[in-house]
Amino acid sequence: MKSLSAILVLIGVAGCTSLPEGAPRVSGITLSPVAVALEVDARQRLLVSGAIAGREVDVTHYVNFSTDKPKVAVVDRTGQVRAVGPGEAVVTAKYGSHTAQFKLTVKPRAANQPLSFVNDVLPILSKAGCNAGSCHAKPEGQNGFKLSVFTYDPESDWREIVEDARGRRVFPAFPSESLIVKKATLAIPHEGGQRIQPGSESERVLLKWIRDGMVFQREDEPALERVSVLPTARVYRREQSQRLIVQAHYSDGSVRDVTGLADFVANDGEVATVDDHGRVIVGTVHGESTILARYMGQVAIARITVPAENRLPAEQYAALPKNNFIDELAHVQFERLGLFPSDLCTDVEFLRRASLDAIGRLPSPIEAKAFIDDPSPDKRGKLIERLLADPAYADHWANQWADLVRPNPDRAGLKSVYILDQWLRESFRANLPMDQFARAMVAASGSTHRFGPTVVYRDKRTPPELAKIFSQVFLGTRLECARCHNHPNEKWTLTDFHAFSAFFGKIGRKGSGVSPPISGGTEWFFAGGSGSVKHPVTGEALAPKPPGAPTPELDAKADPREVLVDWITAPDNPFFARAMVNRVWGNFFGRGLVEPVDDLRTSNPPVNAALLDALAKHFVEMKYDQKAIIRTVMQSRLYQLSHTPNETNTADTRNFSRMYLRRLRAEVLMDAIGDVTGVPSSFSATWPGARAVETWNFKISSEFLDAFGRPNSSSDPPCERNTSGTIVQALHLMHGDGLQKKITHAQGRARRLADSKMTVAEIADEVYLATLSRRPTQAERAQVEKFYETIKDKKDARRTATEDFIWAIINSAEFIFNH
Amino acid sequence: MNRTKYNCAGMGRRDFLQVGLGGMLGLGLADLLRAREAKAGKKINCILVWLDGGPSHYETFDPKPDAPKEIRGEFGAMKTSVPGVHFCDKVPHLAKVADKVTVVRSIWHKDPNHGGGNHYMMTGRPTPVPVNCGAFVTFHPSFGATTSYARGVIDGLPPYMSMDRMTRSGGPNFLGAEHAPFVISGDPSNKSFKVRDVVLPQGISEGRAENRRRLRRDLDNLLRITDKVAKDPAVSFDRFNAQGVDLVTSTAAQKAFDISQEDDKVRDRYGRNSFGQRMLLARRLTEVGVSFVTVYYGGWDHHRNIFKTLNGKFMTQWDQGLAALIADLDDRGQLDNTMVVCLGEFGRTPKVNKNAGRDHWPGAMSVLLAGAGIPRGQIVGATDAKGYYAAENVYTPEDFAASLYHKLGIDPHQVLHTATGRPVQLVDGGSRIKELFA
Repeated sequence: MKSLSAILVLIGVAGCTSLPEGAPRVSGITLSPVAVALEVDARQRLLVSGAIAGREVDVTHYVNFSTDKPKVAVVDRTGQVRAVGPGEAVVTAKYGSHTAQFKLTVKPRAANQPLSFVNDVLPILSKAGCNAGSCHAKPEGQNGFKLSVFTYDPESDWREIVEDARGRRVFPAFPSESLIVKKATLAIPHEGGQRIQPGSESERVLLKWIRDGMVFQREDEPALERVSVLPTARVYRREQSQRLIVQAHYSDGSVRDVTGLADFVANDGEVATVDDHGRVIVGTVHGESTILARYMGQVAIARITVPAENRLPAEQYAALPKNNFIDELAHVQFERLGLFPSDLCTDVEFLRRASLDAIGRLPSPIEAKAFIDDPSPDKRGKLIERLLADPAYADHWANQWADLVRPNPDRAGLKSVYILDQWLRESFRANLPMDQFARAMVAASGSTHRFGPTVVYRDKRTPPELAKIFSQVFLGTRLECARCHNHPNEKWTLTDFHAFSAFFGKIGRKGSGVSPPISGGTEWFFAGGSGSVKHPVTGEALAPKPPGAPTPELDAKADPREVLVDWITAPDNPFFARAMVNRVWGNFFGRGLVEPVDDLRTSNPPVNAALLDALAKHFVEMKYDQKAIIRTVMQSRLYQLSHTPNETNTADTRNFSRMYLRRLRAEVLMDAIGDVTGVPSSFSATWPGARAVETWNFKISSEFLDAFGRPNSSSDPPCERNTSGTIVQALHLMHGDGLQKKITHAQGRARRLADSKMTVAEIADEVYLATLSRRPTQAERAQVEKFYETIKDKKDARRTATEDFIWAIINSAEFIFNH
Repeated sequence: MNRTKYNCAGMGRRDFLQVGLGGMLGLGLADLLRAREAKAGKKINCILVWLDGGPSHYETFDPKPDAPKEIRGEFGAMKTSVPGVHFCDKVPHLAKVADKVTVVRSIWHKDPNHGGGNHYMMTGRPTPVPVNCGAFVTFHPSFGATTSYARGVIDGLPPYMSMDRMTRSGGPNFLGAEHAPFVISGDPSNKSFKVRDVVLPQGISEGRAENRRRLRRDLDNLLRITDKVAKDPAVSFDRFNAQGVDLVTSTAAQKAFDISQEDDKVRDRYGRNSFGQRMLLARRLTEVGVSFVTVYYGGWDHHRNIFKTLNGKFMTQWDQGLAALIADLDDRGQLDNTMVVCLGEFGRTPKVNKNAGRDHWPGAMSVLLAGAGIPRGQIVGATDAKGYYAAENVYTPEDFAASLYHKLGIDPHQVLHTATGRPVQLVDGGSRIKELFA
């Protein structure tokens, strides 16, 4: 008996310190926040983290909470503390044998202090979605009730609720009869449904605020200065979960837990998602992402890192060859994420890939053969130099920039559009350094029929439109979002956007303005016009100021745009060099280090920040020479990886540990087909023999270019270039008359080969070299020979077979994609 | 490639689109289509006849024989197959099918420019900034593009087609280029006409096409990464190709594209001209499963000589072709699952101008609708006695758009997201025109 009771005692002890089912074993716990001062009735969520082998996991769910002074503070099972009365208290979290403590000072609530619209009510309306862009924050409101998007104009929101509709939205004598309460709680029909639960804390606050006299803001009310999120950065395992806590910090030093009223947005849903309550669920892929927490126009970022569970030995990475800093920095990232780069691609893969990416052309069969048969070890390096010196480079890059700035010719006029197009081509032909390129565009002056960049001014006629295009193109930033409301995912405010616009506030112009659909006149633009840019809410005239930088001193006589370009192209500008190299990167890898390439922001971080920084620095050192940065990118081993995955990187679609397939751009594909078939396309409004890449406006009609995603510049905003596959593309390539005519053309390659004395094997070699920049394998050659054999009894057998052979290759994935 | 854009709801725009396109990575295409159809309910396909330029309501469906001469113009009114309802006396064929259609005489708006009017009536949304007559611009997805987005590709058919061009505001805007109309140019009344890309090229037999495809299979050795986490675009390339092959090997589809297989009497009924045969082809396309077909019929901007023009074949071809389409669909029992809509960007001025023309007038316009359960033999609303303004049961373009989307099984008030993640309501307000749902 004695021994039995001893066992029971032991079990009992073990029971005390044992963990609940499913709870992880940890070496210690920490509690955050550590200490907070609260007013009576305020709440604070607590977060308990357990340490496991150098990383931390959320164990809040399993913790037992207790408080030493229940009259000061109480705590519930989920770790939410409520301040009850003045004094000091300690909350203890107990997890197995580990404990952690949280100190709390509770201050009395100021007597009769009314609730405030700005600090108490607006956050509730925001969280309930009342001021969503599709609800009452539409430009014309909804059913006569209009709020500002993301609360950029609290005063107008207050007036709308308290004074508009003859005050019937609030009923101070009987707060629960107020329309704003009854609609939101669905006590009466509401198209938007129930936004606030009857009986909830939110309803209580709303009612009390009405009862308190609907104060806009108390006189001494502290202002919201920033928000922060806990944990700010953490390393996770796949499929783990984590609660986030959002704290609002005020000008008087006070802190409020606003987790329940914050909005959360996950940047990459595959790495991690987040729910309305700030609960993060980590996904099933490795990688890095951010969760954005937004509260009353302020944002904070929680960083999520999901490394591979099985990391490879460091020696394996150390043993990898590195061609330049790109490889060094990429390997660091790979090691962290447990990715191992694919093998180097073959020489012929590199030849085709590099030619298509750098100059938008396939190598000719002669070039391909020469490259394949060149025994020199540095033939890749030599190829890069040859491509950078190729005249086709200019048209390929001008064509890409045309996507960004090319106006609708109906609006800007054909001649103007042509002049801009030619200027782009000349710029890339001369390899104009990108800082000078930016200066020419942003500070353009002169005639739209003489100087291309002025055409951007002809097309974008107001300061906000100019601010939008230049910030997107040269800063890689969608400042435009802050045109009508504060940027939802970034710190930019209305003031930032319109102060940026103010650089374009005094553009003068003369001549004939736009007059669609001909719009043929000449127009002149110059600095020194009159005008100003006003803040849309306050109406105050704004001084020009770049985003995130101090207000510059402006000489009254100088062109403020020159000052702006000085800032844009300064070596320490945080946007320009990054945006430019990110675009170049996107061209060579199919996606940017930041994706989309023109959406640089804290909440959309680069997949490899160190790499983007290093590239930007290099670009500055190279004096913004685009060819120099392209050379560096192409020389890297990273750019020369095979697209065949290994066992670590099949799921990698963003870290560049293997090359991703990219469908050829519309113009590149069309020209490639012209080269392969030996029958160029012909276009209206260009010289005979012009290639697709030389077409200069989207109205030059082409079913092919339209099917393969040429942007239509009559769309506002311009349609993005779409590289995804569609049924129309498949149909057009397989069955379109265009390709058929080219294949069967009397002067085309198929006819020439068929009518020649070449053997089938020789024909196969030439077609493979022309299309895929390689010779066929033995097996492939045999397949082709077999095909010629099977139809040899038919009429025109050799011609038919050659046509069908070229058709089959052009319609294959190996041709359509750059790999 | 897998560009993800984020909107306020925390869901990437690309995620939204992938429910339509890349969503196939997860669900099988068939599952997805089934799910979509279940949601859409009974699938109605739509033929939209676009009278570019702005047809006069006086000279079509809303004659004012009792108005003074300078308003009523040179034409008279004629009885239709619906007692008490009169159309202009230059549309005898349409008058005969009046008992199969609804004409709404009371839609109006305020944009007297072609650019703005086109946009409003083709997308359901006014332009956010004034655009003038020459403007060729879109700010919002058109009805056809949205239908394509909502329904996706069915049986390898591009869901949105347009003849013989894309109308000004017929584009997809932020829905992306894959929802742009598949434009069938060319004149189907020509002997040599064929629908581009959906039938084998001239001179290629099915046997030869199969040889080609087999050779492609043998030679296309590029690695496919079938694990869906790799998001290999070559895998979706294969899927689209397979759908395209299904389309050219489907007897039913191929027959539909070949307008010459139609009975000569039927072809004659539509009129042996480009408009008439486009109407016929539109019927054949919707029959085989194309969700939305726009037929462009421009030239209605009659600032001068309106009576001369409308007394000629420009009018008779339209009258005959459109009436034939409605009657033919009905004869085949297909009118209930096809919707025919005919309109332009606005009506025309009440007073005939000094050039014997009428100018732009958005204060009143007539819109013809038929099929899809729309009541037959009905006139909705009315203009005032002289035809200046919509006066009874007045409706807006938003109401029109909401009605059209309802009939197509698309929620008109759903929220879509632009490329930058901005939420946009498909139709801003508007309610169904109740008379169309009786």
